[in-house]
Amino acid sequence: MFLVRTLHKWFGLVLGLQFLIWALSGAVMAILDHHKVSGEHALLPVAHLTAAPNPRPLADVEAAVGAPVITLELKPLFDRWVYQATTPNGVRLLDAGTATPFEVDAAAARSLAVARYAGSAQVEAVRLVEDSTHETRDMVRPVWRVAFADADNTALFVSRATGEVLGAKTDTWRLWDIAWMLHIMNYGDRQSFNHPLIVTVATGVTWLALSGMILLFRAFRPSDVAWIAAPFERLAARRRGRARLIRTPSAGE
Amino acid sequence: MIRLPALARSTHKWLALFVGLQAVLWTAGGIYMTAVHIDIIHGDRLVKAAPQSALALTGLVEPAHLAHLAPGLKSARLETQLGRAVYVVDASDGKALFDARTGEKLSPLGKAGAEARAKALFAESGAIVSAEYLTKAPLEMQTRPVPVWRVEFEGAWRPTFYISPYTGELVTRRHDLWRLFDVVWMLHIMDYDDRQDVNNVLLQGFTWLAVLGSATGGWLLLYSFRRRRRRKAA
Repeated sequence: MFLVRTLHKWFGLVLGLQFLIWALSGAVMAILDHHKVSGEHALLPVAHLTAAPNPRPLADVEAAVGAPVITLELKPLFDRWVYQATTPNGVRLLDAGTATPFEVDAAAARSLAVARYAGSAQVEAVRLVEDSTHETRDMVRPVWRVAFADADNTALFVSRATGEVLGAKTDTWRLWDIAWMLHIMNYGDRQSFNHPLIVTVATGVTWLALSGMILLFRAFRPSDVAWIAAPFERLAARRRGRARLIRTPSAGE
Repeated sequence: MIRLPALARSTHKWLALFVGLQAVLWTAGGIYMTAVHIDIIHGDRLVKAAPQSALALTGLVEPAHLAHLAPGLKSARLETQLGRAVYVVDASDGKALFDARTGEKLSPLGKAGAEARAKALFAESGAIVSAEYLTKAPLEMQTRPVPVWRVEFEGAWRPTFYISPYTGELVTRRHDLWRLFDVVWMLHIMDYDDRQDVNNVLLQGFTWLAVLGSATGGWLLLYSFRRRRRRKAA
């Protein structure tokens, strides 16, 4: 038991701070509303186009794409129907009504983002992001980052290849992401939680928790639980006393 | 007056009594979640990479004709399934699958069709153990839509594919490593019903108790390494 106590102490000294960080970052993530973190509250559902598609024939698509087509999608994109073709060289987007390339430029990205934005704030900035940033690490890039001037600093991300809104990031998410970074101990790109450092530390902290559990069996003395036991004991004593009182006269007879 | 070391010790002890077991579950579960790569948990290696074969577009049903096949067309995708060009269509009546060459409606898929799709998508060699048509989503499908074909294969960790009868698509895949991860996750976020709510009151309470528990542990460290030095000095 002495060994367990010593080990608990030393593991606590070396790894205790990480347990505190896990508890604290976990507490923060448990408090932040997951719907706000995911950004879903900032997005409107995709609106249906009332206009029926009048798509150009496949031969025109083939000619316009100019590469082998692996899959071909016909879908509404805000105010028009588009063809989205997957080719070995990447995704091609065509206006379905004319079979001409539809480029998602800054202006198009802006209107596509405004169409899906649930708030009423103005667009603050539109910028192309090609690198993996904290906000764009899970997205197929390049993406247009359309920033809105609202209280939560909402930004919508529009794929340059497909014109789709890939997600929304807010200050709630940014705070959550710091907690997430601390929780998964990945201080670089904050993406993977499968790395040797965290597995090693988690193993050590498991021992810290387990040895603490073992110590609990020794840690509590009768005096610790006295305040719980006291009322019951008082009750029992009173009952004993009453029994004595009842017994006394009969004993006197 | 109560001595500070005694206060630290008894606070730490009492907090540990309440969160100790949960702390073991958090950390031991953490080892599993970090040690087994998330791509393995997701079953990425169970699914064959999509073939990069080009579609032969000549002679296919024209997209302009799809509105007649499926009134209230919302979107459509032309792709290859089982070596044949198909349209996966989303319309007012829901999703449907059409042969892109003949326009014949292929959905809803029967048992043989679902098994063939599952077999073609499965990256391992195991045979199909069972194929069931489910109208009620099992817990492991989470929020995905039903009805669905549940196709289980022979192989390590009971690999299972869920195939949509309407689109022929792989809705999701599961195996025992995922199922164990899900139990560990449930214990980690303390949501014992649908294992999804990370904002439940129980977790919020316990995480703050754990913060206090570890903070008082740190406080206790201030006194724990002093005694011996003092004795030496004496």
